[in-house]
Amino acid sequence: MTEFGLRLAISLTQIAAVMGIVVITVLLLTLAERKVLGWMQDRMGPMEVGPYGILQPFADAIKLFFKEDIIPAGANKFLFTTAPILCLIPAFVGFAVIPWGPNQTFEVGGITVRPFIISDINIGILYILAFASLGAYGIILGGWSSNSKYSLLGGLRSAAQIISYELNVGLSIVGVLILGGSLSLVTITDAQAGGFWHWYLFALPAPQIFAFVIYVISAVAETNRVPFDLPEAESELVAGFFTEYSGLRFAFFFLAEYANMVLVSCVAAALFLGGWNAPYPGTIMAFIGAPSLAWIENTMWFAVKTYSLLFLFFWLRATLPRLRYDQLMRFGWKVLLPIALGNIVVTAIAVFIYQQMK
Amino acid sequence: MASTTSTKRLSLSAWLKTITFYEILVGMKATLSHLLNYRPVTLQYPHEKRTLPDNYRGMLALLRYDDGTEKCVGCDLCEAACPSRVIRVVSAEVPGEPTKRYSKEYYMDMTRCLFCGMCVDACPVDALGMTREFEWAVYDKRQLHLNKQQLLAIGDRSFPVQEKRLELQHPNVAFFNVAFKHVPPKPD
Repeated sequence: MTEFGLRLAISLTQIAAVMGIVVITVLLLTLAERKVLGWMQDRMGPMEVGPYGILQPFADAIKLFFKEDIIPAGANKFLFTTAPILCLIPAFVGFAVIPWGPNQTFEVGGITVRPFIISDINIGILYILAFASLGAYGIILGGWSSNSKYSLLGGLRSAAQIISYELNVGLSIVGVLILGGSLSLVTITDAQAGGFWHWYLFALPAPQIFAFVIYVISAVAETNRVPFDLPEAESELVAGFFTEYSGLRFAFFFLAEYANMVLVSCVAAALFLGGWNAPYPGTIMAFIGAPSLAWIENTMWFAVKTYSLLFLFFWLRATLPRLRYDQLMRFGWKVLLPIALGNIVVTAIAVFIYQQMK
Repeated sequence: MASTTSTKRLSLSAWLKTITFYEILVGMKATLSHLLNYRPVTLQYPHEKRTLPDNYRGMLALLRYDDGTEKCVGCDLCEAACPSRVIRVVSAEVPGEPTKRYSKEYYMDMTRCLFCGMCVDACPVDALGMTREFEWAVYDKRQLHLNKQQLLAIGDRSFPVQEKRLELQHPNVAFFNVAFKHVPPKPD
C-alpha cells in the first residue's frame, strides 16, 4: 500500500510539474505571439500592463476569469458546458508521453522514477494521434451546441479540416516510425542521439525532410492556426466555433488551442529534430566533467527546438493570408497526401535496401 | 500556396519555386526583416501625443474680446450654416441698448458635430473658434450638450484674453474678419 501511495505521489508530482510547465508556456505564448506579431508588423504589441506589457497574460487571465458566463438561449446546455472540457483534455493528455529530457532513472524508496517522462507507453505516438483526433469532438460539439449558424459552420469546417489533415500528420509520421522501428517516443528519441546528422530530419538512409514539411503544414492546419484558420475565420464567421463562448469556457478553448500548438511542436521536435538530443555528439556538461548535469543541457535543447517551432507558427501567422476553403482541401488531399504516401514508399524501400546491404 | 491550375504547363523554375515554397519564403523573409529591424510606428497615445496640425479642428468654443465681452451678436448665421443642426441660438436685445443684440442662450450638441468648421466660417464677428481640444470622452452623452457658459469657458481656456484693448471697448464695434492675434503660438 505504501508503495502504491508513493507511486501515486510521484506520478501526481510529475503530472503537476508537466501541467504547470505547459500552462506557463501557454501564458508565455499568448504574450509572445502578440509581441512577435506586433514586431513583425511594425507595432509594439501589448505595452500597458507591467513593464513592456509582460504582465498582459495575467491581466487577460483575470479578465476572462471574472467575465460573465453566458449560455445562449436555445443552446444545448450539457454539450455547451462539456465541449470546452472535451477540447482541453485531449490537448493536455498528450503531454504524458513526451520525453522532456534524457532517459535516465533514479530510485526513490525502492521505486524507479523516470523524471523526464510521465509514462513511456509503447504506443506513445498513436496515443497522441488518437487524443488529438478526439479534440475535434470538442470543437464540433461546441459549434453545434451553441445554436448559432456561425458556430455551426465553424465547427463543420473544423471537422472537415481536422479529418483531412490528421491523415497527413499520421502518414508523415510513418516514415519516422519505419526508421525508428517503434511507436514509443522515448525509443525514437534515443535512436536519434549523436549529432544532428542522426536526426530523422537528415538521417540516412532516408532523410525525412518532406515528411517534416508535411508534418509542420498539417500541424498548423490541425491546430487551426493561420493560414489554415478557416474554423475561426473572423472575417466570415465572427469567431467560428467559439463565437458564443465567453469567460472561462472561452479561456478553455483558447488554452486548448495553445496547448495543442505546444503539443504538436513537442512531437515534431521529438520525432524529427532529435528531441532532447543536442545537435552535437554527447553533451557539453559531460565533456567538462559534470555528466550529472547533462539533463539541464538536454532539456534546454528540447525547449529550444520546441520554441523554435512555436516561433515558426507566429512567423507564418504574421506572413500568410488565410486560404480559401477549396484551396485548403485541394492542398491537403491532392498535394500533401500523395507526397506523404510517396515518402512512405521511398523510406520503406531505402530502409529495406540499407538493411540488406548491412 | 496550394495550387497553380492544373491545366497550365509549369516551367522547371516555376515548378521548383512551387515545391520549395519560394514565394512564402520571400514573404517570411520580409516579416523577419521587420522583426530584426524593429522600428515601430506606434505612438503610445495616452503617454505620448502627436503634434496636431496647425489647422486642427477640435472642440468648438465661443470667444470673447480682449476686454472680456462676448463677441457673439446672436445673428443665427452659425445655426443656419450648420449641416448637422448642432447649434441652437436664442437671440435677444441687449437690455437698454435697442441697436445691439446678443445671444441670450446658445447651445451646442457636440454629439452631432462633424467638425466641418462651417459655423466658424459663417460667423460675421468671428465669435466662434475651433480649439485644439479633442479628448472629451464622457460617461454620459448628455454632458456633451453644451450651453453658453461652458462654450465660453472652453474659449477662455483655449484662447485666453490677453489684454484690454481700448478700441474694442466701443459698444458698437464689430470687427469683421479680424485675425486671431491672441491665438497661442504653435507648439513644436
